[in-house]
Amino acid sequence: MTWAQHHQESERASAEAHLARRSGDLSSAKSLFDRAAEAELKAIALLDPASKPRTYGITAVSAAALLYKSERVAEAEIFAHSILSRADLPEFATDQLKELLQTIWNEQVQASAGVRFVPGQVTVSVDGGEVVRGGAPLDLIVERVQTIQSLFYRTAEFLKKLPLRRHGPATKPIQELCRPWLFQSVPGSYQFTVAIQGPAQGDMFKADEPEPRLVASTFMTILEGAATDPENALQNVVPDTEYRSTFLKLARNLAPTGRSFSQLEIRSSQGSGPVVLTQDSRKAMTRSIRQQAPVAVAGNQIEPTILRGVLRAVHLEKDWLELNVEDKLLHISGVGETLDDVIGPLVNHAVIVQAIADAKGAYVFRDIELDDGATDV
Amino acid sequence: MQKHRIQIEDLEGRHPGLTPGIALAYREAAEVCLARHHSSPTDLSIEHKSQVTGVAEWNPPDARTKRGWANETDATEAGAYCVALATIEVTGELVAISRAETRTGADYYIAPKGTQPTDLEAAYRLEVSGIDEGDASSVKTRLNQKIKQALRGRSSLPAIAAVVAFSSANVAIADAVQVEQK
Repeated sequence: MTWAQHHQESERASAEAHLARRSGDLSSAKSLFDRAAEAELKAIALLDPASKPRTYGITAVSAAALLYKSERVAEAEIFAHSILSRADLPEFATDQLKELLQTIWNEQVQASAGVRFVPGQVTVSVDGGEVVRGGAPLDLIVERVQTIQSLFYRTAEFLKKLPLRRHGPATKPIQELCRPWLFQSVPGSYQFTVAIQGPAQGDMFKADEPEPRLVASTFMTILEGAATDPENALQNVVPDTEYRSTFLKLARNLAPTGRSFSQLEIRSSQGSGPVVLTQDSRKAMTRSIRQQAPVAVAGNQIEPTILRGVLRAVHLEKDWLELNVEDKLLHISGVGETLDDVIGPLVNHAVIVQAIADAKGAYVFRDIELDDGATDV
Repeated sequence: MQKHRIQIEDLEGRHPGLTPGIALAYREAAEVCLARHHSSPTDLSIEHKSQVTGVAEWNPPDARTKRGWANETDATEAGAYCVALATIEVTGELVAISRAETRTGADYYIAPKGTQPTDLEAAYRLEVSGIDEGDASSVKTRLNQKIKQALRGRSSLPAIAAVVAFSSANVAIADAVQVEQK
């Protein structure tokens, strides 16, 4: 038999395995993935990597992925290592096999930690600007990690149909329902993986609590809507205006302005396509946020003013913030509807505030976002 | 203006990389997605090298099929594969010749119709994305994302990106390498 014949046999079995998995027949899926892996291993044995490097790389990734999907994890690990030892392996195959190995190692660590993680961990990849392979400015990453945590908690609150939380952290029950953990990922730009810890084994879900795996998948759907179509797609997922506005602002805090990094990609291990946040998606989200913001002061429609400065202080309960603009402290009111986790990470950072000046020259808040020097207004 | 016929049925007969089971599943998903917004036949606004119009005829899904594809994310993804492959077959004379597993799913490889490949050295990797709700502008945003993703080096094979928006019946296809060079 030839490479093509073995590979086709593998294709047929893996296609059936995906269909079986979709219909819930996990036992048949496992056995079909197992058959597909065997056929792909036979296929790769017939390939000369020097003369067919791309075919070899694609087949190697496929065989390793099939071993992993058929739960032959130890064999997948050994096979990936053996392929990675080849000097002539194409770069795309090297990257994908390393990613698979990191997934296996993370799962092994998670299993041995005695903590239950729900399916659907997400890998966040930050690229461009100041980011180098395997390294990134600490503040850039810490702020994104905090925002991702906020998005997970807000998603759980939204699914639980709780009123929008205006101040303070998520309640303990929400934190226990879906606590995000941070795992290292393979260097490829700068990457990290977030896994969601579910309730302890044996704990029953309460009737009004969303299943943690639903939190993980809804998190991805919300980000997808915010990134690609904040006007329509996000509205379908999040009909509530206040929640939608909150998710948009948090998603925008994740997106690049262009100088420190140029792209943030979020991929779920559950297989749906990645969500990519770029400067364009940031601009689209800003437009949508500002369309929803109030445009009038005391009945008069006034053109908003753009203020650039450093956010020095925020008092949400007293409804104001202070912005240092060219060594002058400006007092801006009307921030009461802004949320801790949206504005908190911006304190002591350069920001762009859109405000409306009333007849006496006092500013009323409309919108705030990070300004790293590259942000368009 | 001439309308191209976009055949979402019997894909397995024209795309050697699709099994009958997968082709049927994709077709069901496409019908569920199209039925959310349109009735058959549906005009598709297609952008691939130039702007053309296609028309897809399809059967309304029954209740059982709708239940089977109740997960909107899964249906949109599978339905987008169906429409993208049926479109690229007409506008690019390309068909799926192979499918290879990845950690999270599978990639399709496409080549000119009639090719009898003994390997994947010259095949294009296909990046497909589906949107349930969305207009031409969303399709463009997503297509740009897909192109960037395809160029990020997941494969040193040339890649083609396709985005399908079901509500607005838009299909956009771009050669990732060519677009980057412009």
